[in-house]
Amino acid sequence: MVVLMLRFVMCTLLLTIPASSQQEKTERPRKVVRIVAERFTFSPSRIKVKQGTEVEFVVSSDDTDHGFRLPAANIDVAIPQNGKGDLTVRFIANKKGKYVFECSRPCGAGHNLMRGLIIVE
Amino acid sequence: MNGVSILILAAGLASAQVDPDLERRITELEKKIRLLEPGFAAAANRDLALRVAALEAKISELLPPAAPEPSPQPARAPEVLSLQPLSSGSARTPEPEPELRLPVAGYMDFHFNKERTQPGQLDFHRFVLLFGHSFSDRIKFWSELEVEHAFVEGGEEKGEVELEQAYLDFLIHPAFNLRAGMLLTPIGIINERHEPPSFNGVERPFVETVIIPTTWFDTGFGATGEFGNGFRYRAYLMSGLDASEFDAEEGLRNGRQKGFQSSFRNPAKAARLEYSGLRRLTLGLSGYSGSAGFNLNTVNPRVDIFSFDGRYRAGRVDFRGLFARSYIRRARELNFELQRDRGNLPNIARQLQGYYVEPAIHVLPRRFRNDAVLFARYEKFNTQHRMPEGFLPLPEFNRSAWVIGATFKPNADIAIKFDYIFNRNASSVIRPRDSVNLGIGWWF
Repeated sequence: MVVLMLRFVMCTLLLTIPASSQQEKTERPRKVVRIVAERFTFSPSRIKVKQGTEVEFVVSSDDTDHGFRLPAANIDVAIPQNGKGDLTVRFIANKKGKYVFECSRPCGAGHNLMRGLIIVE
Repeated sequence: MNGVSILILAAGLASAQVDPDLERRITELEKKIRLLEPGFAAAANRDLALRVAALEAKISELLPPAAPEPSPQPARAPEVLSLQPLSSGSARTPEPEPELRLPVAGYMDFHFNKERTQPGQLDFHRFVLLFGHSFSDRIKFWSELEVEHAFVEGGEEKGEVELEQAYLDFLIHPAFNLRAGMLLTPIGIINERHEPPSFNGVERPFVETVIIPTTWFDTGFGATGEFGNGFRYRAYLMSGLDASEFDAEEGLRNGRQKGFQSSFRNPAKAARLEYSGLRRLTLGLSGYSGSAGFNLNTVNPRVDIFSFDGRYRAGRVDFRGLFARSYIRRARELNFELQRDRGNLPNIARQLQGYYVEPAIHVLPRRFRNDAVLFARYEKFNTQHRMPEGFLPLPEFNRSAWVIGATFKPNADIAIKFDYIFNRNASSVIRPRDSVNLGIGWWF
């Protein structure tokens, strides 16, 4: 009888641990933002998210190849040129603050100022 | 006795039984040790545990003393990122031959121009290399070096080498950054966005050539930034125009100093406010004001330019337009002084004005890898829009043009262009020629 009870407790624990972590995942707020990169702007260029949000950026280019660099997340990836697909970037906004993202591939006269801001509130 | 105890007892009994294979392997090991150490005597009993212990002791004797273990390093704290990356990657359309990226950027323009009744001309119009460097996340350099018309000899009869941009950006705050060096005047559409695939037509619009003297660059410094909600600005103090080089046909164009020992007496103010808060819409308001008489003796005319422009894309249709008006203060006195210097009256206007509108349609479906654009541009520009008192405008400078053409892009960075230009003016005597133009422009 004792063994049966122990087995029941073990099974319950095993079943509840993944369930609670899964629940944690689904409880985290998620935000998907579509961004268009074009010489020499990201549109939108200011994005507000709540702290703890799982953020997904879907970035497409309206012209040439650009780059997406987000130093606060150690991300630096290429945005394919128009017609060659989208870039998807996912991260969790852990800490409140303002974080700059910028184009990391030379794209013309306004390249240095092709920047945007993520505001984590 | 419960079930758990039974399981533990069974496991213990199983482990206590002698495994013949294990015994054979231990015997083999003992033989090998005897080769190294003939005096080694295997344990005489059948207890495997004792035989293994004897082997372990002998191996420890034979092995050199172990080096002392390094003292443990202080554990490095994992890097804490304010934004925790999860994944990133592009869903690129597969390419059989991926493009090779060079550490520099650039663009080129190769043209064939033919005016009606005139022989055609091939011209490698522009060869431009762009270099940038980041000293840090907050200090960045950008430059653009251009060779025009391929061949440079002596003066500027053949071609030109121009340093169109070379500046440092000091990135302080999104709303306020500093910039200094050789700058593009922030005015109009084309002056700061002249990569060949970014506009239609083989040549740049007339309005942005004679009313706004594109490519217009000079030395200066100023501030740049973004206010939020899609508003951003650039505001510079720059070397001004040289009014001693103004003329009736090309207006302000020849008055650009181009950073060649530019006079900074009475620096000009140039600013642009841009709105791009709605997707695929950009509106721009530009202004310029500066004295232009540093090369003159009796008059110091001021030049003011006002320009408004917009670009919009709705589905497969693009639209862009620009209006610009330039004012030359004290144009009457300027004309008289230049008449004394040159020997003829230059007939410079007190107001120049121009505008253009350009609708364009992308004719290939989105699923195609290539793009083809048909466009029509109407331009109206007059370098003698308003004349000083006592001066008459010449009607040949009151011009208009219909530019009809196509742009084919086998790649977003390559533009193969064709256009036909119907040139018109208000003169009944001097008729402009129509022209046909072909061009290839590319960016890399």
